Amino acid sequence: MRLVSLLLIAVVAVALLGPLAIEWRYDSIDWSAVHAPPLTGTHLFGTDAVGRDLLARTLVGTRITLGVAAAAAMVALVVGVAWGATAGWCGGKIDEAMMRVVDALYALPFMFVVILLMVVFGRSILLVFLGIGMVEWLTMARVVRGQMLSLRQRPFVIAAEAAGAGPVRIVVTHMLPNIAGVAIAYLLLTVPQVVMIESFLSFLGLGVQEPMTSLGILLKDGADDMDVAPHALLLPGVILMVILLCLTRAGELLRDRYTA
Amino acid sequence: MTLIEARDLRITIGGRAIVHGISFAIDMGETLALVGASGSGKSQTSLAPFGLSPARVEGSFRLCGEELVGLGEARLRAIRGRNVGFVFQQPLTALTPHLTIGRQLAEAWRQAGAARPTRKELITALESVGLDAADERLDQYPHRLSGGQRQRALIAMAIAHRPQLLVADEPTTALDAFLRAGIMALLKQLCREHQMGLLLVSHDLHTVADHADRVAVLQEGRIVETAPASALMRSPQTRYARELIQAAPRLHGPPPALGPVGAPLLGAKALSVSFKRAGRRRGHFLAVDDASLSIREGEAVAIVGGSGSGKSTLARAIARLGPVDAGEVRWREAVLPPRKAMTARHRAAIQPVFQDPVASLDPLWRVHDIVAEPLRRLRPTLDRGSVERKVAEALAEVDLEPSFAGRRPKQLSGGQAQRVAIARALVADPDLLLLDEATSALDVLVGSSILDLLARLQRERGLAILMITHDLAVARRLCHRIVVMDAGRIVDEGLSEDLIASPRHEVTRRLVEASR
Repeated sequence: MRLVSLLLIAVVAVALLGPLAIEWRYDSIDWSAVHAPPLTGTHLFGTDAVGRDLLARTLVGTRITLGVAAAAAMVALVVGVAWGATAGWCGGKIDEAMMRVVDALYALPFMFVVILLMVVFGRSILLVFLGIGMVEWLTMARVVRGQMLSLRQRPFVIAAEAAGAGPVRIVVTHMLPNIAGVAIAYLLLTVPQVVMIESFLSFLGLGVQEPMTSLGILLKDGADDMDVAPHALLLPGVILMVILLCLTRAGELLRDRYTA
Repeated sequence: MTLIEARDLRITIGGRAIVHGISFAIDMGETLALVGASGSGKSQTSLAPFGLSPARVEGSFRLCGEELVGLGEARLRAIRGRNVGFVFQQPLTALTPHLTIGRQLAEAWRQAGAARPTRKELITALESVGLDAADERLDQYPHRLSGGQRQRALIAMAIAHRPQLLVADEPTTALDAFLRAGIMALLKQLCREHQMGLLLVSHDLHTVADHADRVAVLQEGRIVETAPASALMRSPQTRYARELIQAAPRLHGPPPALGPVGAPLLGAKALSVSFKRAGRRRGHFLAVDDASLSIREGEAVAIVGGSGSGKSTLARAIARLGPVDAGEVRWREAVLPPRKAMTARHRAAIQPVFQDPVASLDPLWRVHDIVAEPLRRLRPTLDRGSVERKVAEALAEVDLEPSFAGRRPKQLSGGQAQRVAIARALVADPDLLLLDEATSALDVLVGSSILDLLARLQRERGLAILMITHDLAVARRLCHRIVVMDAGRIVDEGLSEDLIASPRHEVTRRLVEASR
């Protein structure tokens, strides 16, 4: 756990503070070094096809990716848990109605809705957060509802009712803490999905806009030039891998701690 | 001829020794019962030598002269497939849910290396284990079968390839008293017919003693006594074996001393509970049908019946912890409000204890908070100091050290967890304790100590008890009166001793028969 959290903190710290220590900005172009390999002059990790410093771009891209992932995951957590817990506890007709809403939203063509949002409200990172959060909470709600339904039948929940605890108290003090492990594990598993969606939207020109960047865009650009500049793929790839491995491992450790 | 010979068998799991050098033998066609409390190593002894557990096995374990210790997985699998059949405790989970009984049975044949069986052979196999409508059963999925029927199907699979040895690990523990006797008789009959050796593993000496030739008593990984079954039951040589024999409540023997009975406390009138049918079938089925029941102060009443008879549903409806369709419950002449309108005063009067002790405690809470919860909710006027004091008193009353207060449920054994659950039920100072199979998930010795504890509390506090159980002997140990339920209806009722001595209803007669 300590190694995992140290690594995650290190990645976040470097992404936040790193750009201040580099003389190149993520969007400044060095015409003397296009497609430069690593260790060319002051470009520690080389440059991309238009001569922008890869280290600076990767660090800024990590910021954006982590920011989008964190925001979308929080939306998914808050909305999904509230919705799923309410449906699972109430049961019956309320549960039916709430889950049909989830089904209906699942059925909407997600890309179409995001494109519509972009057209109506203009392009912004905030809308990317909203759009991704909008799909991710659906699955979280289903997971939480399923857990609630199975927990409701457990003797310790009935014992709490016999001990005089009201419905809100039972849900908040007995059921949600017992769901937390699964919810957190699932939350940390949604992050890689969010990263994928974000990069896909960016590729379509609906997400992050050039010259702003993200890990998804960097990976895509790197993959395009893999034959001439393989180094462009290396740094964002390694960072993404560290983030995903750490989050997955952290999710597993938390789940093991909170579930018997 | 010797079928199995174990010599100085030692089993370790993760560096911890479970079995410390035991020796035993089983002859062809003989039944040996391996009996001990949970954690005594009896299950490992029956599984590990066949490669069915991750444990390390040392010493010697010979099957028909062939040494199994140190054999490779491939060879062990071949031996399991051809020479040994296994029957496990959980018939509900031991069948693959999406395959028909017929396919799973045919699969057992193929595993043994036999030719694909004909439909006729499969039908004969199911009939030989006493399953009715065998032809239909072949095309049914496991969920259509009851627990007892599934155990029979599993036995048919285990003996499909005519093994020389059958290993049965607690084959009847998950079944109710009716089914227990039937399954044991079936196992015995099959062993006789096919000259099979049977290694029977159980915590319940009484259930297996009638059906075993010899009994080996296992205590903490050592065999403390081996004797012919009848001799052991008559005159056990060791103290441990004596304790095991005396621990299980019996139907005969002097009636237990029970406390006096006072004024009417609770009266349930014409209660009905129905559930929606599962799946696509329309309509409802009546789980409890027009049941009436009364309890007096200090009186213990047992609801006895097989699985699915509606006894748990009725008790929960009475305590307002489950759904109810119709009928009323009176508590000291006032009508008990519906489930959602129960006040703290009502809740404090009736407190439950459930079957699975570990599942009835919130896994994230500490014992102290678990026991304090009813006080905080039901007696909000108590200050912190008196809550502390009452929690400590409750723990002491169920014979737990004060140091248990800081533990979490997974650090407790089954018996300790059940004591915590009882402490939680007592702390609110109830008049009626609802015991829902409170001892049936525990092994005989632990269950007996819990029954002793409950008897003491009943005497000292003058507690009324509503007990749900499938075991008449357990009911007799604690209860003044017994109510027999079958298919949602109350079919028989009477004072414990009268009801057992002269059962009137058919179901009661079968229950008495099964508990002998």
